Amino acid sequence: MSVEPAGLLSLLALPFMQRALLAGLLTGGLGGLMGSFAVLRQLSFFSDALGHSALLGITLGILLGVNPTVVLIPFAVLFALLVSSLVDNSKLPADALLNIIYSSSLAIAVLALSQVRSYAGGIQHLLFGDILGVSWLDLSLIAALLVATILYLWCTRRSQILLSLDEPLALSRGVAARWQRLLFVIVLAMVVALSIKAVGVLLISAFVVMPACAARLVSRHFGRYVVLAAGLGAAGAVGGLVVSAAFNLPSGPAVVMVQLLGFLAALAWSGLAGSRPMGAGG
Amino acid sequence: MAETILEVSHLSVRRDGRPAVDDVSFALAAETDTALVGPNGAGKSSLVQAVLGLIPRQGGSVRLLGQLLGPRGQLPTAVRDQIAYLPQVFALQGRFPLSVAEFVGLGFDPGGLQVGWGRCRQRREAIARALAKCASEGLAQRLLSELSGGELKRVLLAFCVARPRRLLVLDEAQAGLDAQAAEQFHNLLFDLRRSEGWTILQVSHDLNMVRRTCDRVLCLNRSLRCAGTPDHALSPPLLEEVYGRSFVPYHHHHQAQSQVQAQSQQHEPQASALPAERR
Repeated sequence: MSVEPAGLLSLLALPFMQRALLAGLLTGGLGGLMGSFAVLRQLSFFSDALGHSALLGITLGILLGVNPTVVLIPFAVLFALLVSSLVDNSKLPADALLNIIYSSSLAIAVLALSQVRSYAGGIQHLLFGDILGVSWLDLSLIAALLVATILYLWCTRRSQILLSLDEPLALSRGVAARWQRLLFVIVLAMVVALSIKAVGVLLISAFVVMPACAARLVSRHFGRYVVLAAGLGAAGAVGGLVVSAAFNLPSGPAVVMVQLLGFLAALAWSGLAGSRPMGAGG
Repeated sequence: MAETILEVSHLSVRRDGRPAVDDVSFALAAETDTALVGPNGAGKSSLVQAVLGLIPRQGGSVRLLGQLLGPRGQLPTAVRDQIAYLPQVFALQGRFPLSVAEFVGLGFDPGGLQVGWGRCRQRREAIARALAKCASEGLAQRLLSELSGGELKRVLLAFCVARPRRLLVLDEAQAGLDAQAAEQFHNLLFDLRRSEGWTILQVSHDLNMVRRTCDRVLCLNRSLRCAGTPDHALSPPLLEEVYGRSFVPYHHHHQAQSQVQAQSQQHEPQASALPAERR
């Protein structure tokens, strides 16, 4: 059932909706920005595993009786460092190891949450996000992280590109690959942790992966690719929220569906433009 | 006496808990082209990577352009900027949204953090110059992931030539190229070495090319088995010592090309085809 245009405008004017739109703009942009590098460095599945495992951090906060956001940030950072170290030192393929970690932590978290009466019915919000419930404090934290992320990526852009291309080449140019990798994983964990409330643990990876993949299909310059990924992320989030308000749909899935449309449009565009989406020329 | 660009002393490297390079010492004089040859698994890539500080070493010392390489591969940025490395494998996963001009620009940019916008005009000119030197002007706006093997190798050389270098280290640079593309690549490398005054250390399986273009050969099979001019180091008895007893060097004439094939019992055959007149 859709809302009349006048009703939609008055709905969008409500303070909680404006906070939600701003949160969508910021988290969408942040996800697209970090995603543009994460996708090139083949960390898409890592961000997915981080998102799923974040539920364990939230559960920990609930069980300890403290604000889950306070627990989630250090938990996500520690978890990311631990997983990164495990992946580096394991003889198992990274995707298999990440699958084991994220499904186990998700299972533990859901089992623990099912025992907490006050959250038994609130799991839905954690899984799919509750962007309408975002507070000004959440917004301030996301805005501060966006500024820090832009500065970090700007100052280390050469290292980030070289690491995405080839690690030995990056090392030979004096890039401190190990430190850069750790720092990137920490920033990615913080982005995931702060976006969880708005997007939910199941959909967070879409925020990181989809805009970047869409931008990758149509960009021919790195700078434009990064800007386009951030722009598509922000536009998809805002567009999804408007669609969610107009058709009374759950906000998280509506945002992801709009981002999917953006990706499909990019796929069609790249096909029409005659570009080769996969593989180097022989 | 020629300046020493690289000095390696008693270098030892372990990989996956096993010795890969054992007690290797050598030095490279300025503006020389030295080939590192040996069978697969002889430790050639480990040696060049340890020399550049890309992997840890277990013993010995390395001095690059007079500067001692730190235990964790640390080198002052000013020294690091004078060294270029072309890795053995440069495989891009899928469409990579980086233009050739942007990539060559990364070769121009100095190491360290980049807070400002960079020297835009100087950077643009350096990129154009580097691409022109490598006959790749037409590739500037192409995506790196759209290039053919031969084009990619030329662009990698443009990356190296984008700023003045003293030492160029290549790890099987001709891998994946057909005979014609390999020939073009080596001709370009040969010309650039002369015009840029590069000192080159290159890992190679192409013994014919080594005979033709290199000044000196280091034969490695975990330890250094022989060193000297190509005529000396690539003589049958020494090659047999490096590659194993079943090593058979032979010349095969076909369409004005000479072929040398190195075969060993435990390793895959390596082949190359190069014009005979340049040997």
